[in-house]
Amino acid sequence: MPIVAERKAFSAGLDELNENMATLAELAKLSIRKAVATLETRPEAIASDGRDVFALDQEIYALKQQVVKGCVDLIALHAPVAKDLRLITTSLEISTDLDRIGRYSRDIVEISNLLGEEARSPTAANVDLVRLGNLAIDIVDRALTAFAARDAEAVADIVRRDDPIDDLHDKVFREIIERMTDHSISPRAGAEFVLINRYFERLADHAVNIGLHVTYMVTGVRPRVKAEGAKGPFGDPS
Amino acid sequence: MDATKMAAVGLSASYGRGPAITDINLEFGPNSATAIIGPSGCGKSTFIRCLNRMHETAPRATVTGKVFLDGEDIYEQDPTAVRRRIGMVFQRPNPFATMTIFDNVAAALRFNGRHSREETDKIVYESLQAAALWEEVKDHLFAGATSLSGGQQQRLCIARALAAQPEVLLMDEPCSALDPISTAKVEDLIFTLKRTYTVIIVTHNMQQAARVADRTAFFYLGKLIEVNDTKEIFERPKEKLTEGYVSGRFG
Repeated sequence: MPIVAERKAFSAGLDELNENMATLAELAKLSIRKAVATLETRPEAIASDGRDVFALDQEIYALKQQVVKGCVDLIALHAPVAKDLRLITTSLEISTDLDRIGRYSRDIVEISNLLGEEARSPTAANVDLVRLGNLAIDIVDRALTAFAARDAEAVADIVRRDDPIDDLHDKVFREIIERMTDHSISPRAGAEFVLINRYFERLADHAVNIGLHVTYMVTGVRPRVKAEGAKGPFGDPS
Repeated sequence: MDATKMAAVGLSASYGRGPAITDINLEFGPNSATAIIGPSGCGKSTFIRCLNRMHETAPRATVTGKVFLDGEDIYEQDPTAVRRRIGMVFQRPNPFATMTIFDNVAAALRFNGRHSREETDKIVYESLQAAALWEEVKDHLFAGATSLSGGQQQRLCIARALAAQPEVLLMDEPCSALDPISTAKVEDLIFTLKRTYTVIIVTHNMQQAARVADRTAFFYLGKLIEVNDTKEIFERPKEKLTEGYVSGRFG
């Protein structure tokens, strides 16, 4: 019979990493939800959500730094290989995605504060921005659920959901330009809406990244997103 | 793997009781290093001792199957001739204690036919160079071999093996008795040697396998469980047993 080793110190380090990553994921999800809420809710709620997003951004950054330090320690002290190594390197990559999600959420709130009521004016562009924000929330939720469940298959669905987000991003962009041209929104508001529009699209891209990282973490194979014009969600695995 | 220098086919061996290794099929490419890993008693040392016909020298030892070197079965050849083509370095440095550094290397030539003084000097120099030891011993070649440190003694044994001009170099845990610096020197040496020789190294040190070997074979309970490119074995092993072993959770 083989001698089984628990590797207690290493296992404790991996447990801590998993807990920190789960917390980081929850904070990032909360952050993007509250950021989108500032585009559609009442002023008093907005003020509260906005403050929360700033605090969340700081918390996410600090926890991300802790995750990075923990990963470096695990690599230096325990020479991980195989699925342990994949968990650690994937956590490093996903923690960066989550940090960016926190930062984009903060940027959205900053714009929302800057524009005040104009950010929530019922223009077509604004309404679609909120719709895009909700799609971004949904795809990030799905990516983080896949991470929590170690679901390597979910990435196909996540990649598929990114396409309509890209399409809506393009549509909203055109609408914003139209509203600016017909003066129904100010150039300043239009410029800021363009930024928010871009942030939501990038948030969805981070969700796709997370999905791809999860697949590698679980299977050891790095899937490639399809080339422009290719059929199916993936190209050949690298 | 594109070409094969050496291959074990259906190789089984025992020490008279139960089998030590069973039905091993494993190929080794030219100019490459292959690491054999596995827990104690898994048969990895037995396996490489079958590759140069040393296993059969143990009492009650049996070997079945074939080992091909350049397509010819070594078990149908003269064992001494086979061992000249397949050098071996052991776990503990074993220089000839009563000989000088020079004579330790030159000794390999004496078993290999007659050589002129000039030829001997040349081969000793080249072997010590190839073993990355020349610079450290060139000023006291005629000092006793035991005056060297453990790491230097191990590289002297590698130089001795190289002096016989083998085609394959077997190494049975060559760094297990060495300190980290000596280990690093021997690993650097393996990295260089594999450009010229087929190197097969048994190691308990996972990171050493990862550092020096192009391919890694995992043995367990006398069986070959998995063989693949080293980075595959350490990044995404296919077998659960391999995963458990390389990640240090059993062994």
